Amino acid sequence: MSKHPSPRVFVIALAVAAFAATACGGQRSDSEKAGALGPRPPATAAPLDDAEPSTDTARAEPSVPALQFGTPIGTATDIPSATRDVALPVGFRYPALGIELAPIDAVGVEPTGEMEIPGADAVGWYEFGPSPGETGSAVLAAHIAYNGVDGVFRDLVGSEVGDIFTVVFDDGSERDHLVVERAQYDKAALPFDRVFARSGAPVVTLISCGGDFQGSLSSYQDNIVAYAVPLESQGEAA
Amino acid sequence: MHTLGKILVAVAALSLGLALFAAPSGAQDDARIHLIHGIPGVDVDVASDGAVVFENFAFGDTQDLSALAGTTLPSVQVLAAGTDTVAIDAGDVALPASGNYTIIAHLDADGVPAIAVFQNDTSTIAAGEGRLVVRHAAAAPAVDVLANDTVAFAGVENGQEGSADLPVGTISASVEAAGGSDPVIGPTDLPVADGVSLTVYAVGSLDDDTLTVLTESISGLGSAPTAVNTGNSPISDDGSELPLAALITAGAVVAVSGGVMVRRRVEA
Repeated sequence: MSKHPSPRVFVIALAVAAFAATACGGQRSDSEKAGALGPRPPATAAPLDDAEPSTDTARAEPSVPALQFGTPIGTATDIPSATRDVALPVGFRYPALGIELAPIDAVGVEPTGEMEIPGADAVGWYEFGPSPGETGSAVLAAHIAYNGVDGVFRDLVGSEVGDIFTVVFDDGSERDHLVVERAQYDKAALPFDRVFARSGAPVVTLISCGGDFQGSLSSYQDNIVAYAVPLESQGEAA
Repeated sequence: MHTLGKILVAVAALSLGLALFAAPSGAQDDARIHLIHGIPGVDVDVASDGAVVFENFAFGDTQDLSALAGTTLPSVQVLAAGTDTVAIDAGDVALPASGNYTIIAHLDADGVPAIAVFQNDTSTIAAGEGRLVVRHAAAAPAVDVLANDTVAFAGVENGQEGSADLPVGTISASVEAAGGSDPVIGPTDLPVADGVSLTVYAVGSLDDDTLTVLTESISGLGSAPTAVNTGNSPISDDGSELPLAALITAGAVVAVSGGVMVRRRVEA
């Protein structure tokens, strides 16, 4: 690819290349999103003296005692690793809902900003959040019905506190999870901060749709959500 | 006059600052001020009021000065490491009271030690995107920054920066003299991770053949998807019907596993 000075052309090329590198393409419409991006004109660092002056009267302290400072908090010489060193979810079982074994696909977001959802027969794991077992809320979402076909989470509305489901990982291990809360929200009222939390105790959050089906919108009114906590690992899958 | 020591010295009072300034205003609660040593091959000691308070601050080392936000540090000096030789007489140093800043000791375009203060953009990043920031802090003329073999930022001069929010993935970045040449830095693979701002500093000296990069990450800037739409048609009438997924075999899951591993990547 030859160099080109146009920021827009660059950004589109960059975005497309970045997506190609992720191998996650599928349902995404890359160019639409890329068009909204653009490098900003270079800004210039401010001289030190332009920084906000102190108004803190505590500075009147007359002298600095001879303290040995600790070790640096880090070094900036290393480039961050692109490797995610954690087991990733690849399979899902929920016998109480008749789900014997569904594949899990890693998914991101659509250009519209909504979560990407795989087809009717798979569960989508939101790969920009935690993997099940990591800190925060790992999100597993699947259709109730898609293009006239019942989805994996057709019966999520029937999940109950006390149910146990299993997540299978790419290292062969699997882990059971205990449903501790089930909720139904108007889609506009989905608690995004909780569902997609990046911190807090590990939770696996199952999401589908439910409530009234609005034919004119080809959409359901509500989100069905089941929150679950991990139980002990079972080691290698049989 | 801005000198190398002017800010290096700021680290000296950090321990003291924790004690002195913990109580006052809440204005500094949100402040994040990091200091990066961006001059290759120069180790320094820092003294204040004649006493060495910090030794052997080396290239690439990073210090957190957040606890000193909003304070002015008294007269300080920078010494060549392990000596009494005063390299820089820094004077008082004022730090911003709030906000997110990175202060880097670096070489200016002519190779003279200098201080640059960059304000970091901590605005929310859309779900599925990361922020890439490039900053020229090297003894080198204007440069072009290339991403995936295409010019991303043209004619960036020492002290300037460029920034873009990009879809998650890996960017192959390199730096050329403005107008094109063989790369003087890179190409280097850089991760663009969801909700993470990755800043890349070009540092060192072109003439001394010490050009390289330093990086700094600020995470937690991401946002959640805007909706979860998981159905576009009515369910079947037969509630006892098993979902299609129930028919998926274990073999299929193994296949999926392989696919996921291929796309496995990044989260900072």
